Amino acid sequence: MEQGKAEVLKGTLDMLILKVVALGPIHGYAISQRIQQISKDLFQVPEGSLYPALHRLEDRGWLQAKWEETETGRDAKFYSLTRAGKKRLSAELVNWERLSEAMALILSAAE
Amino acid sequence: MNGWLGRLFHKRRTEKRLDAELRFHLEQKVRDYLAAGFSSEEARRRANLAFGGLEQVKQDCRDARVENHVQDFLRDLQYAFRGLAKDRRFALVAIFALALGIGATTVMFSVLYAVVVDPFPYRDFQHSVVLEMWDLTGPRQAEARFHYTIPEFLAIRDQNHVFEDIVGDYQSDVLYRDGKGTRRFLGCYTTPNDFGSGVPPLLGRSFGPDDGKPGTPFVFMMNYKLWQTEFGGDPAVLGRTFFLNGKPRTLIGIMPQRFNGCGSSLWLPTDLSPGADGTVFPVKDPDVIWACARLKKGVSLETAAADVDGILHRMAQANPGELYPQHFKIVLRTLLDFVVGDFSKTLYALLAAVTMLLLIACGNVANLLLARATVREREIAVRASLGASRGRLIRQLLVEGLLLAGGACCAGCLLAYFGVKGLVAIIPRGPNADLFHGRIPEEAVISLKPGVLLFAVAIAGLTTLICGLAPALHAVRGNLELRMFGSGKGAGGGFRHGKLRSGLVIAEVALSIVLLTGSGLMVRSFFALTHVELDFNPAHMLYAWVSTTEHGPYETAVKKKLFYEQVLQRVKALPGVINATTSLSMPPLGGNGSEITVLGKPSSQHWSSGIDLCGKAYFQVLGLRLVRGRLLSETDIDSARQVAVVNEAFVRAYFGSANPLGQKIKFNDFDQLPETPHDAYFEIIGVIADFKNQGLLEPPRPEAFLPHSITGFGGRNILAATAVDAKSVLAAVQREIWTVDSTAAVTQSGSMEDFLAEFAYTKPQFGLITTSVFAGIGLALVLVGIFSVMAYTVALQAHELGIRLALGAQRRDVLAMVLSHGLRLISAGILIGVLASLGLTRFLASQLQGVSATDPLTFCGVALVFLAVGLAACFLPARRASQCDPLVALHYE
Repeated sequence: MEQGKAEVLKGTLDMLILKVVALGPIHGYAISQRIQQISKDLFQVPEGSLYPALHRLEDRGWLQAKWEETETGRDAKFYSLTRAGKKRLSAELVNWERLSEAMALILSAAE
Repeated sequence: MNGWLGRLFHKRRTEKRLDAELRFHLEQKVRDYLAAGFSSEEARRRANLAFGGLEQVKQDCRDARVENHVQDFLRDLQYAFRGLAKDRRFALVAIFALALGIGATTVMFSVLYAVVVDPFPYRDFQHSVVLEMWDLTGPRQAEARFHYTIPEFLAIRDQNHVFEDIVGDYQSDVLYRDGKGTRRFLGCYTTPNDFGSGVPPLLGRSFGPDDGKPGTPFVFMMNYKLWQTEFGGDPAVLGRTFFLNGKPRTLIGIMPQRFNGCGSSLWLPTDLSPGADGTVFPVKDPDVIWACARLKKGVSLETAAADVDGILHRMAQANPGELYPQHFKIVLRTLLDFVVGDFSKTLYALLAAVTMLLLIACGNVANLLLARATVREREIAVRASLGASRGRLIRQLLVEGLLLAGGACCAGCLLAYFGVKGLVAIIPRGPNADLFHGRIPEEAVISLKPGVLLFAVAIAGLTTLICGLAPALHAVRGNLELRMFGSGKGAGGGFRHGKLRSGLVIAEVALSIVLLTGSGLMVRSFFALTHVELDFNPAHMLYAWVSTTEHGPYETAVKKKLFYEQVLQRVKALPGVINATTSLSMPPLGGNGSEITVLGKPSSQHWSSGIDLCGKAYFQVLGLRLVRGRLLSETDIDSARQVAVVNEAFVRAYFGSANPLGQKIKFNDFDQLPETPHDAYFEIIGVIADFKNQGLLEPPRPEAFLPHSITGFGGRNILAATAVDAKSVLAAVQREIWTVDSTAAVTQSGSMEDFLAEFAYTKPQFGLITTSVFAGIGLALVLVGIFSVMAYTVALQAHELGIRLALGAQRRDVLAMVLSHGLRLISAGILIGVLASLGLTRFLASQLQGVSATDPLTFCGVALVFLAVGLAACFLPARRASQCDPLVALHYE
């Protein structure tokens, strides 16, 4: 692994995927690119866990998939958020906010 | 989710898409690397590296999807099915064993459910209680009274603080006259409150609070059975008027099939005030009212008993006399307990037996699976080394168990279906079953219920776990890969699981011994019961209870005597009849008794004696033998002399070695009854040898035999000794009785043999048949178990045996070696089983009559039988072992 790049924090991959997919239909490769981009190259999503995660989220009914053509004219699997996925995402976000607030509190108190 | 079923069936397409998706990713990545200036080879290498193994990612993706687990399961199922199909003998034996266990358990639970959970259709039947008055002074402690006088009942009803409601029933024959003749039905006068206890009538209406009060119209209700048999289920009978006991009454309702109501056919409302409808209730008779009460919520049996106890003790103080023993107490029992009584012990004993059966079956299947797992060690090792995880292997083995359990469950339910049918046919129920030793409630409907079936499925699931998990864990323990180097069929394999398997066989044998001993004792007890020597041949003894209209033309001694004399003369003249007499009792079972006083011998103790009222041929008909003095003569009976013949037990109890002849005795209870000689002393004129007079197994009790002509009280029985099958003259006897008086009804009749079968044998027979069946199944299962384990052991030891034979061991030695191995297992099992039986059979003691719970003969017999049969089961595998060709055995390596 290249220096200065962190693996996605354990347990947050699902949330990141849902968040990225929420922006519009997108295929797996683009998801990994997008996460890397937005995090300013800080996060690198290992392909080894991205695809199982996508399949799991689809299996749960949070994502739905469709085969469509890309701009380059290739067939790719595009994921989009389902209604249940939207709910799930907002639940995860609330959860995350609480968690990071708590984290911040603990860290600032410890200083 | 809607997709996973689809994906399950379009597996190839799903795989293709997965591949395409990942490949697209890879190509994008390669393109990016190319764009970044890498050579095409380097770009491809880097992309692949980042992906970390395409196959692994694919597998992870598959694992993320539900349908793939389903698919794995289906594959396991398929694999297990193939495996079992290949080893069909094993599969059939295992399924059969489990099915027997599950089936038998389901049957017993169906019975228990019907008896304990849903025995009565009444509302709140758990709170229904019956009242018993226990005599604490009498010679036999705790002799109970179940009925009450009318004043007693009214006092309890009006003064208690513990009952929500209390119903009084007075059972009596109802003579029904239609144009054709007089018939007698069992009727029941009942207080109209809460009739049916929540069971609505099938047709018409139930009794209202005013029914039965003086001045209200006479009404009655009918049970389903009578309605069907007599009136063909015609609803038009409702509202019709019938002549019952000579009075017109209107039928207002019909009760449904599942309603017993004292076992009566007709119910007549009454407020118990004398003469409301012309019925005279014997006010002083303590044997009148049967009371069934419903406890208030939260009142315990003891509290309620204490309350009633106070009421009756006050009554006893106010009316000192014969009605109340010096010391008594009131005991309340729930209706269920009263009806089922001791029979619940039989049921629980059977449940225990059936559980043992299930355990044996489980042991058997576990053993078979274990043996199979041993043979498959190598296969398991290969699969483990090819990457199958331990969990996956265990799951595979469990699926096999599940498949067996599924098959067994289906077969078991089928067995249970027929088992329940068979059991219902032999279960003791109905009014003639032994009332005071319990039976199945009349209204309990024994059938396979969904809940019980579900229970069977649960048992099947549990057995899967028990049977499948142990061998599965056993098979995958230790270093799986190492086993590749050992040989699946090598010398070591035979003994590896030897201990667990042997332990299971020993446990099975022990359990089976317990079952066999139990049923052996039942057989012995039943044999003792059915081979009690009677002084007459019950198949050639006819009995017929005759009921003449109460308070009708025969209430005086003279008229009654005349009637029976006429009947007897005609019966005696019938072809096939040798001799005939009247009696008050059914001789081997005894009947009424009374307290007695011996003239000049005052006693502080309670002296009592049975009483029979005899016709002229009484002693000849029953084959009774005179010991001293003389029998009742014709003149004694014709002139109703106050003389008595007594039995030896009577003499022993009250005269010892003194001469009883010429002594005078008084029957105190006669003073309480109408139409009996009051304050009369009977002179003893003879002594007869003892015979069974209070049941088949109890020792004879003191009894006195008086001329039947002394009283007009009570119904009579006609006993006739016949030269042919007693049942064949039944119709003729009935005809003769009607010829004398068409209003006299025969209430119950048949051959003494049938009577004994119904009255005395039904319950022991039920226990006998069920335990024997269970023990037989258990024995068969254990034999199969021993056989299969020995056969597997021999198969696994083939290598060792081959070497032994090649090195010069005699076939005899090999035979002896295998047999002694089997013998060790069997005798260990027998020893444990016998010890366990010694401890357990005492719980059976209440079911046994005429044989001790530790009967040595039974124990030895069972052990010997088992030893013989067990060795036979070992012999076949042992012979095969001794006959194996050493070359072939060694060649397998």
